Amino acid sequence: MRKFCTVIAALSVVVAAPACAPSTKSSGDKVTLTVLSWRPEDTAGYKKIFAPFEKSHPKVKIDFKPIKNTEYATVLPTELKKSQGGPDVVQLKPYGPIQSLISAGNLVPLDGQVDVSKWDPTVLQAAKGKQDGKLYGVPYAMQTLQVLYNKKIFADQGIQPPKTWAEFTALCDKLKQAKITPLSTSGLQPWVLAVDHQIFGATRFGGDDFAKAAVAGTKKFTDPDFVASLDVTAKLKPYYPDKVTAVDYPDAQTLFTSGKAAMYPGGSYEVGPFTTSNPDLQIGFFDAPPAPGAKIDHAVTSGFVDGSYGVNAHSEHKAEATELVKWMATPEFGQLFASTLKQISAVPGTTPGDPLLAQAYQNFKTNGARYMMVVDFGYGNPLGRDQDGEALQKMLGGTSAADAGKLVQKGISAWFKPSGG
Amino acid sequence: MTPASGEIAGSGGGETPRRRKRRRWPLLLFFLLPALLLYTVFIVYPLISALQYSFFEWTGTRQDGFAGLSNFHDLLTKYPLSEQVWRALAHNTFFFIGTMLIQTTAGLLFAVLLHRSRRGKRFLQTAYILPHLVSPIVAGYLWSMMLNPQFGAVNAALRGIGLGGLAQPWRGDPHLALPVAIVVNAWQWVGFPMLLFAAALAGIPDEYHEAARVDGASAWQSFRRVTLPLLTPVLGIVTVLTFIGNFNILDLIYALQGSKGNPTYSTDVLGLLFYRTAFENPDANAIGESSALAVCMFVLIFGVSIVATRFFRRMEARLK
Repeated sequence: MRKFCTVIAALSVVVAAPACAPSTKSSGDKVTLTVLSWRPEDTAGYKKIFAPFEKSHPKVKIDFKPIKNTEYATVLPTELKKSQGGPDVVQLKPYGPIQSLISAGNLVPLDGQVDVSKWDPTVLQAAKGKQDGKLYGVPYAMQTLQVLYNKKIFADQGIQPPKTWAEFTALCDKLKQAKITPLSTSGLQPWVLAVDHQIFGATRFGGDDFAKAAVAGTKKFTDPDFVASLDVTAKLKPYYPDKVTAVDYPDAQTLFTSGKAAMYPGGSYEVGPFTTSNPDLQIGFFDAPPAPGAKIDHAVTSGFVDGSYGVNAHSEHKAEATELVKWMATPEFGQLFASTLKQISAVPGTTPGDPLLAQAYQNFKTNGARYMMVVDFGYGNPLGRDQDGEALQKMLGGTSAADAGKLVQKGISAWFKPSGG
Repeated sequence: MTPASGEIAGSGGGETPRRRKRRRWPLLLFFLLPALLLYTVFIVYPLISALQYSFFEWTGTRQDGFAGLSNFHDLLTKYPLSEQVWRALAHNTFFFIGTMLIQTTAGLLFAVLLHRSRRGKRFLQTAYILPHLVSPIVAGYLWSMMLNPQFGAVNAALRGIGLGGLAQPWRGDPHLALPVAIVVNAWQWVGFPMLLFAAALAGIPDEYHEAARVDGASAWQSFRRVTLPLLTPVLGIVTVLTFIGNFNILDLIYALQGSKGNPTYSTDVLGLLFYRTAFENPDANAIGESSALAVCMFVLIFGVSIVATRFFRRMEARLK
């Protein structure tokens, strides 16, 4: 029997050994900061972006560690729980999903350490704790929502981006007659439908004014204006692809990039992937004109913050990590980020290198609206975005707009407590 | 071990069978240890920790105070979970019934037909079992492309033979999506009951059928009165394994319809609900809620499997 005890003992040593291995992160005086991200495709870009920081901080080396985006949400909490050897700086989702990390004490509050005096408070909201109001991350990118269109198809058909809703439906009819799908979208994925709703319906429900009223609790999602905005979006069904309820997100993308569809309601985040999958594609974008009965008489560009970078509370190099996120709030980082990764930087005073994105960002700054279902109602289960999308899915299947509005109200009121007038 | 063989063995070594058995334990343990260790680390430990997690309140990954049964209470009373749990359970049940009707029946049919056929038996057996070798994620992805309304082969084939009217938004219609998932799942797994039935059929002596024929039984009567009752033990195993597989299903539906059981949760099953509650839940108590759900699923599946196994044992006993 003693022999078997020895075997067990030996085995347990083998199992335990890697766990006890000492952390070998700082060699000599040089500190290696691990940056955890869900963007493997940006690895080369970040290397370029971080180079000036490493130059000005000769004692710091940055190790960009990307994880597959579909696994990031499950990996991040485990990494942050490690008492040692975890990442130093982590990429964070905006708004709701970071709240449980904040309340578990996994992130370092950055108030007073990072200079965000020039930042728009609505941008910073994406990285703030809902309960304590402290800042836990430096937002890195903005996304805008609008209608992307295929310039070549528009030129071939002799059509221009519409200025009014009547022009918009007329050009959709014209495209349909030419056997081109006017609007490519996915009816299978609720979040895509929620984006469509924000793009086509924001003018109808009243953009930020409605969002503020809903947050205060003075208006509900059963409000006639909100219900009508759902109706506006669902009534576009004839212009969506055939059997849209079964069209998946990648299918919708392919329909547009392959030139089978003329327009694609989506975000600035699509421009990169679309150009990669079809380099010949000439993309333009326009904001959806005010819908019939709109509360806002001009087109709006909706937007939201894409995410932020925060500091792990268990980091062994908190000072250096804080130094890095401090730098991430400077125009130097913002401009490098915008030009290298073709994104809209969240840092004030920067302009995207891509002319298309620069135009979208300009529109957002002059006539912006926040993507309410993510910015304001993305903090509980069910997420506003998911509930809104489910309601639209039901409408595509025949449910009335009034019932859809009730479903949105029921879902969000399950966790959302209005702030009061 | 029968007493007789024990005596013979015991008389040789001059030991009682009990002592001999005891002396063999260390050796048995030695061979069992690696599997036991892996089983404990990867199955028993997670099960127990899930049980423990389910009784606590969580804030992200931080375990807070003892919560008693409140996580379980939330599962049944807190919208949207309260609605999703029952809907997912109903979908699992529907999935199981559908699979038994389609997959098990087809498996039995193929086994009987192949049992009788002389030519192509091996080839067909391999062909039917082949989808089994593909990962459910891959199978789900392949079918999602074939069922695609724009580029998919299924609707294109229907249009090609002039049945374009039958082309459907297969994955997008809330009434069709779950039956479609059942059929895809059956396509993948039909080989499994077929193999089990084939083995059982091979074990039924021909004499039984000859005797039935002599007594004037038709082919159908011979199958219904002789073959089928003798297949009860296998039917029991197939039923229980199908039940376990169907109530744990996640990967295929995830690949076909995403983590939300699209459209409008019409293909949401307990496995997907667990995944969402654990990993896509903005609620700080995600670990508590999802562990409670996992415990409920385990109790349900374990309990029903035991009852069903007992039931089939009793039916088998009646055969003898």
